[in-house]
Amino acid sequence: MSTQKKVKINKLPTGVPGLDEIVGGGLPEFSFNIIAGAPGSGKTTLAHQFVFANASPERPALYFTVLGESAIKMLRYQQQYTFFDPAKLPDSIRFINLSQVVLAKDLGAVLEEITKEVEKANPAVVVVDSFRTMVRNPQSEMDLQSFIQRLALFLASWQATTFLIGEYAEEELRDNPIFTVADGLLWLRQTAERNSIVRKLQIIKLRGQDSVPGLHTFRITDAGVQAFSRTFGLTARKRNPPSNRRLSFGIPEFDKMLDGGVREGDSVLIAGSSGTGKSVLATQFIAVGICQGVPGIIAVFEERPEAYAERATSLGLDLETPQKDGKLTILYLRPLDLSVDETMQSILDAVQKIGAKRLVIDSLAGFEMALSPGFRADFRESLYRMIFALTGIGVTILSTVEVDAVLSLLHFPFKLVPRIQASDAGCIGLLPRNLQNVAETVIVKSAHRG
Amino acid sequence: MATSPKTRDLARCLLDFEAASAKSSGSTESATLSVYEKLRQSLSVFAGEAAFESLAFRALTQAKSEAPGLWAVQLAEDGSLQGLGEFEPPIDIDKDLAGKFPAGEGGTILIARLLGLLLIFLGEALTLSLLRNAWPGAALDNCNSENGRKA
Repeated sequence: MSTQKKVKINKLPTGVPGLDEIVGGGLPEFSFNIIAGAPGSGKTTLAHQFVFANASPERPALYFTVLGESAIKMLRYQQQYTFFDPAKLPDSIRFINLSQVVLAKDLGAVLEEITKEVEKANPAVVVVDSFRTMVRNPQSEMDLQSFIQRLALFLASWQATTFLIGEYAEEELRDNPIFTVADGLLWLRQTAERNSIVRKLQIIKLRGQDSVPGLHTFRITDAGVQAFSRTFGLTARKRNPPSNRRLSFGIPEFDKMLDGGVREGDSVLIAGSSGTGKSVLATQFIAVGICQGVPGIIAVFEERPEAYAERATSLGLDLETPQKDGKLTILYLRPLDLSVDETMQSILDAVQKIGAKRLVIDSLAGFEMALSPGFRADFRESLYRMIFALTGIGVTILSTVEVDAVLSLLHFPFKLVPRIQASDAGCIGLLPRNLQNVAETVIVKSAHRG
Repeated sequence: MATSPKTRDLARCLLDFEAASAKSSGSTESATLSVYEKLRQSLSVFAGEAAFESLAFRALTQAKSEAPGLWAVQLAEDGSLQGLGEFEPPIDIDKDLAGKFPAGEGGTILIARLLGLLLIFLGEALTLSLLRNAWPGAALDNCNSENGRKA
C-alpha cells in the first residue's frame, strides 16, 4: 500500500504547556486514554486543560463526574486556574454527574447513560472522572474491564477522544488488564524528597505516537499543569553541522591561546578560584558578541542582575544598553523549589525569545546550590541534556565554576570530572599568579577541544 | 445574615419570569416551585442530586430563619419542595395585574438563598451561565438593581 493511502491521525493540542512535545506533537484524535496517579497528582487538572483547549460549541466536551470529589467543589477549585474559561460552559463543556446512576444501578446503566448523552451531544472529548470509583467491590474489577472495553468501542465509533481518570498506585500499573484497552496511558506521580515535592509524569504507552520516553518533571501553578520535557523540546530540531568558526573574546593574546577563540557551538568551562576573573571573562565574551550583533544570555544565581551589570560597567562593559535593545537578557534564577528541568526551561525560553547565540551560566556551583535538594541528583544529567540541545542549535555556552585555588594545574580538570563531562567540551583554567594577589591571573588552556 | 440585594434581585427576576410564563401558559403552579424545580433539574445534571439536595437543605434552613412563614416547608427525599402550597397560593391569573406576579417574600428569600450558595461556591460567571442555560429567554443581565431594575 502506498504511503498516500495511510490513515492520517490528527494530533490534538493537550492544552498543557510542554506536554505536546512529550506526547509526540499532540494526542491522537479519537484515542482512548487513561490518566492514572495518586490523589492530588494533577489528573483532573490535566484533563480540564485538554477539555478547555479542544471543546467547541459544535463539538463539545462531556465531562462525566462519578463518585468522589463533588462536582461543585471541583468547579470551584478548577476555575481558579487561568485556563478555565467560564464562558465555555455549558455550550462547549458540559458537566454531567452520574453518581446517582452508579449508586442506584450497575455499570450497564452507567454505560447506557453515557451512551445517551454522547448520542445527544456528539462530543469531541469525553472524560470520566473518576472511573475507578464505580467499582464498589473487588468482584467488580471484571465488570469494570468489560465496561471499559464496551465504552472504548462505543466512543471510538462516535469519534470522541476519551480520558478515563483513575486513582492507581505505582504497583497497580503493572500487568493490569484494564490498561491493555487504552491507546494512551499517562501516569502522574508525586514524591516527597527531603522538604520538596517532586512531580513527574510518564507516557507509559501511546499508540501511534513517537512520545519522549522517561520521566518528565511537571509543575502545577495557577496556569494549571506545566510539563518539562526531558529533551527540552529541541529533539525534533535538526542539529546544526559542527562549525569551525572561532568566536573571539576580544582579547588578542587570549584568543591566540585558543587558536582564535572558542569554537562556535561548543560548551566551555571557565574554572578558577574566587577572584580570578571568571565572570569578567564570561561577560567579555557576551559583550563582544553583542558588539557584533549576536544576542546573548547571562544566567546568574548568586548575584542580582543590577549588581552584575553595575560590576560590568565598572570594568567598561555596558550591559544596560543591550538589555534595553533586546540583545541581552540577564536571568536571575533562584529556583528554590523548582526542578532543574524547570530552571533550564527558563534559560531555553530566554535563549529562544531573543535568538541568543551565546550563553553564560555564572556559575554552575550557584545553579546547583539554588536547586532544592531533591533535584540535585538530576543536575548533571539535566545539564548534559540542556547543553546537548543548545549546542545542537548553534548556541555557544560558557559556564563558570569555582575551584580550589591550590588545585594542581595538571589535575584540576579531573577533579571537576562531573562538570567537565557535562560540559562535553573544553575547560579554561584561571589560576592566581600567587595566592596573596588574586588580581593577577594565569590563564591555562586545558582539555580544550579542537 | 440577610440575603443580599443582588441575589434578591436575581431571584425576583427568575420568579417574575416564571410567573409571566405561567400566566401565558395558563399554569397555576407557584412561581417559587417552578424556579426551584428548574434549578433542581439543572444542578442535578452537572452536580448530582445529592449535591443539589445538600445545597437546597442549607438554603431552606437559612431562608426559614429569615422568613418564619416558611416553617411548614420541607425537603422531600427526592429533593422536591413540600408544604410550599399552603404558604404560597398559586398565581391567580384573573386577579393579577399585567407585569405583577408576586411570588411572595418567603419564596423570594428561599430562591435568593439558593442562588447565594451557588454564587459562593461556583462564582458569578458559572452561576449566571447555569441560569442562562436553564432560562434561555430570561434577560438576566438586567436583573440587578444596580443595572436599572427596580428593587
